Amino acid sequence: MRILLDKFTKKFDDTVVINDMDLEIKDGELMALLGPSGCGKSTTLFSICGIYQCSGGRILFGDRDVSNVSSQQRNVGVVFQNYALYPHMSIYENIAFPLMVKKMDAAQIKKEVHAIAKLVHIGDLLERRPSQLSGGQQQRVALCRALVRRPDVLLLDEPLANLDAKLRLEMRSEIRRIQQETGITAILVTHDQVEAMSMCDRIALMDEGKVLQVTTPNDMYHNPQTDFVASFLGNPPIAFLEGEVAGNQVLLNGSQLKVALPSSIRQPDNGTKVRLGVRPELVGTDRGNAVAGRISFIETQGRENLYDLTLDNGAVLRSIQAVRSDISMGQTANWNIDTERVLVFDTNGQRLL
Amino acid sequence: MSNENSRNFKSWPVTIILTVFSLPILVMYLYLVVDTFTNTEPGSLIPNEFTFEHWRFLWETEPGRVSIWTATLNTLIFASVMTALVLSVSLTAGYALSRLNMPYRRFFLGGVLTLHAFPTVTLVIALFIVLQMVGLYNTLIGVIFIKAALMLPFGIWVMKGFYDTVPWEIEMAGVQDGASRFMVWHKLVLPQIKPGLIALGVFSFLEGWSEYVLPQIFTPDADVQVLSVYLASLIADDQNFDFNLFKSIGLFYIMPVIVLYLLFQNKLMNIYGGGSKG
Amino acid sequence: MRQRIGLLGLGFMAPAMIMVVVFFLIPVIMTAFFAFTNMGTATGVSGGEYLLTPKIIKQFEANQTLDEKVITALGSSSYIVNKTNLARAKEAGLKSKYLGEIDKKLHGKTFASRRQFERALKKLKSRPRNTRALIKSTAHFSNSVLNTRYETLGDFKTALSNNGAILAEPQLKIVTQASYTGWIWTTDNFTTMFSKPDTWFVAVNTLVYVVLVLAFNIFFGLFLSLTTFYLPTGQSVFFRAIWLLPRISPPVLYVLLWKWLTWDTGFISTVLGWFGMAPYNFMLGSVESAWTVVILINGFVGASLGMILFSSAIQAIPTSILYASEVDGANRWQQIRYIILPQLRWPILFTTSYTTLSLLTSFEYILLSTRGGPGGTTNVWALEAYFTALNNYSGNLQYGYGAAMALVLVTIGISVSLLYLRLFKFDDLVTRPRIES
Repeated sequence: MRILLDKFTKKFDDTVVINDMDLEIKDGELMALLGPSGCGKSTTLFSICGIYQCSGGRILFGDRDVSNVSSQQRNVGVVFQNYALYPHMSIYENIAFPLMVKKMDAAQIKKEVHAIAKLVHIGDLLERRPSQLSGGQQQRVALCRALVRRPDVLLLDEPLANLDAKLRLEMRSEIRRIQQETGITAILVTHDQVEAMSMCDRIALMDEGKVLQVTTPNDMYHNPQTDFVASFLGNPPIAFLEGEVAGNQVLLNGSQLKVALPSSIRQPDNGTKVRLGVRPELVGTDRGNAVAGRISFIETQGRENLYDLTLDNGAVLRSIQAVRSDISMGQTANWNIDTERVLVFDTNGQRLL
Repeated sequence: MSNENSRNFKSWPVTIILTVFSLPILVMYLYLVVDTFTNTEPGSLIPNEFTFEHWRFLWETEPGRVSIWTATLNTLIFASVMTALVLSVSLTAGYALSRLNMPYRRFFLGGVLTLHAFPTVTLVIALFIVLQMVGLYNTLIGVIFIKAALMLPFGIWVMKGFYDTVPWEIEMAGVQDGASRFMVWHKLVLPQIKPGLIALGVFSFLEGWSEYVLPQIFTPDADVQVLSVYLASLIADDQNFDFNLFKSIGLFYIMPVIVLYLLFQNKLMNIYGGGSKG
Repeated sequence: MRQRIGLLGLGFMAPAMIMVVVFFLIPVIMTAFFAFTNMGTATGVSGGEYLLTPKIIKQFEANQTLDEKVITALGSSSYIVNKTNLARAKEAGLKSKYLGEIDKKLHGKTFASRRQFERALKKLKSRPRNTRALIKSTAHFSNSVLNTRYETLGDFKTALSNNGAILAEPQLKIVTQASYTGWIWTTDNFTTMFSKPDTWFVAVNTLVYVVLVLAFNIFFGLFLSLTTFYLPTGQSVFFRAIWLLPRISPPVLYVLLWKWLTWDTGFISTVLGWFGMAPYNFMLGSVESAWTVVILINGFVGASLGMILFSSAIQAIPTSILYASEVDGANRWQQIRYIILPQLRWPILFTTSYTTLSLLTSFEYILLSTRGGPGGTTNVWALEAYFTALNNYSGNLQYGYGAAMALVLVTIGISVSLLYLRLFKFDDLVTRPRIES
């Protein structure tokens, strides 16, 4: 089911947390709400499920305006960050609870619970109590409980935050698999860009109560509209170089170094101040223009190494390259920047195209 | 240096000091038990005779006095009905104050806190007159209601504290699963606060069991006397003063308290400490 | 939706609200109202009647509020044969033949005493043969106002004028006011309270009591929590259990044990007796010893509250901080002074304010131990209010005066607790509900 936020506004008393937000989640899509903590993503989620009330605008499920519908009647499944399993009930009772409150008959409940438990691979845990389960198992139970009554939309609030690194990887693909098998529209709230990129169809990146950009993970990575978006995605993060436009080159501040502008962008006026966003994979390539610097840090990552290249004006470029035995700390290097793929932003952080 | 000292810190001087300060309590409670089974010569502290005669109150009733069992039954009724009343009322009110949107929530919360510190004397004078007018003077019902009402601000406050510890996500999940707020409270939240309920229950029961002033004012008559009033009137009667008898009755009186306390020690500490917090 | 949840909240609050209104609000309003009356056992709580007693007349004589003539008139009882009295006698069922004869022979006559009237009646033919019946029949013609209850002011005034006492308006007012047996509105309670030296004595007592017991509670609570913190587990559990006994014991029993400890037949006297000292009742023997015992009784109970609160606060201090301070070279005393005590600031402040308020209004332990004695020297405000209104030897319970005393406590109590609400950041307690619908 398609979800639409139309000029959605949320205030707490007089503090505006979300202002005039427009967002569309397509039917069957897994959409990530990504942003730093405090950006309003959880507030948006709680408003969609009806725990918070809209202060303005509309929320539509399909064609139905649910802005003033209570959360009990919205038919939304939610997986909470700490799972919120009912500690006094068995797993079976937990999953059955949403059906029980609907007064479904016992035989039907049993059938549904077993079906969903099978889908989520927890069929053998039904008799246990939440406290007897591992984090990953609890997560699956929470997912079951959210899905069992066939909600119009599934909301996931930081579902992987409480898991250890290995389980996180496993549950990432599991949640994606279950979402795709059920074909449910889902919204995932997270502050982890890796999670958002690896699991979701599209990402809505939020900051300070605003949606900055909504697009596919791939597009967001390669075509960020602002420097904030560019910096939020990618690990290791993007590096920025400040400078002034001089012809088709940029003269870096406090330095003699020049970096060519990508040929694809509209040429800015001479003297325009710009920020160049250089991703680590663009440094140390075999094309583009070379910059000189000193190797100030080497981080071993196994298959690859991460090198910090400090330029003469103190700016630091990061480079990710296959392990090289010819480089050591303190050494000077003259590495290429793949200038055609460098991202150019104005001083307000807007992308120049 | 001093680090060395503290590691070799000797605890026996502290033990001795504490023992000295605790001596009055140790002596009082030791002799509370000893004196009920023994006789001692005047001027001596060492018992010289073992006897059960101090416990005769269990099977004998002095003329003009009510039987100990009537007083015990009265105390039991008083404490348990009062507890039931406190629990049922604070159970809902505590939830409302902790979790529900409602008008004047702030006002109610402040009110509960203020009433908590309300002087009993104030209410008692008016209640004394009201009870006499409505004919509930010298009845257990009247004093039960009064004691319950006086316990209520405390009970509500404690219950609110317990509700506050239930994770919001549990309730959100319940609401999300389609349950009404009432159902969420009944099916999901109540089971979580069972320990709190038991703690408050035991606490109120002990309070009721030990209460003296209110029954003394509102139910002084023999046939509705509770144990505290029974014992106090016995002590106040100068005719036959007998510490051993008083102590035996006292031991009989305090025994349920000790048992309940030992059973629910940890839960009660929560209330003694945490309940009065804030 | 918001509306419905509002109603659910109110519904959940309703039973509590009803009880609070009935058992807190109404009594407090009534107390405030009683405080401005002279209600007591003498006046009753419902309305009163008019009753002129010889005692009141004696008071008039003593105070010389009325002149002698009037007083004599008030006190005299006369017998008049007039229409009103005849009708009254008829109504009471006296034989009409007898009444007819009285009317015919004695109409308009006044007799100064019953004996004179009896003598006149004995001359009548139709008089009752029985002497007692004859005496009884005189009652209907009596016009004395003494010892007769009149339900309304009008009746009383009529009776006064029937009696032949002619009173001017101011005099009449004096007489009616003095004869009224019900309660009246007055601010006398407060003027008496503030002018009576006893009041100030009790107020100072209360202050001394609160300050000393509070100090004992806090210092001893601190002492207990610190020492038990450093003791091995077994010992600290033992001592904490010991110190909880006074708190969990029923007050009647706990005070009984103190009586056994301190009375002249008790433990201390027995032990001192071995060294040749005379038995002494420490609880009531002297003012100083009585105060010591009262403070210890309350202090031993209160110390456990401090012990519990401070102990849990100390245990909440991360052990790594304590280890760090030891590595940094602090000894035990320095550790207590610089690490532990600063962490106890809020618990101490809380215990202080909570205890102050409960001590101010408590009287149970004093009532059970010294009953304010010897000679009222350990009396405190709350106990005095209790004695005045609900329990005293003379049996003359003064609800009005007691209520006025209690009202003072309420005023202090409410203002102090409002102060505490600010001190303890009440707003932090009022977090908004997170489910809005």
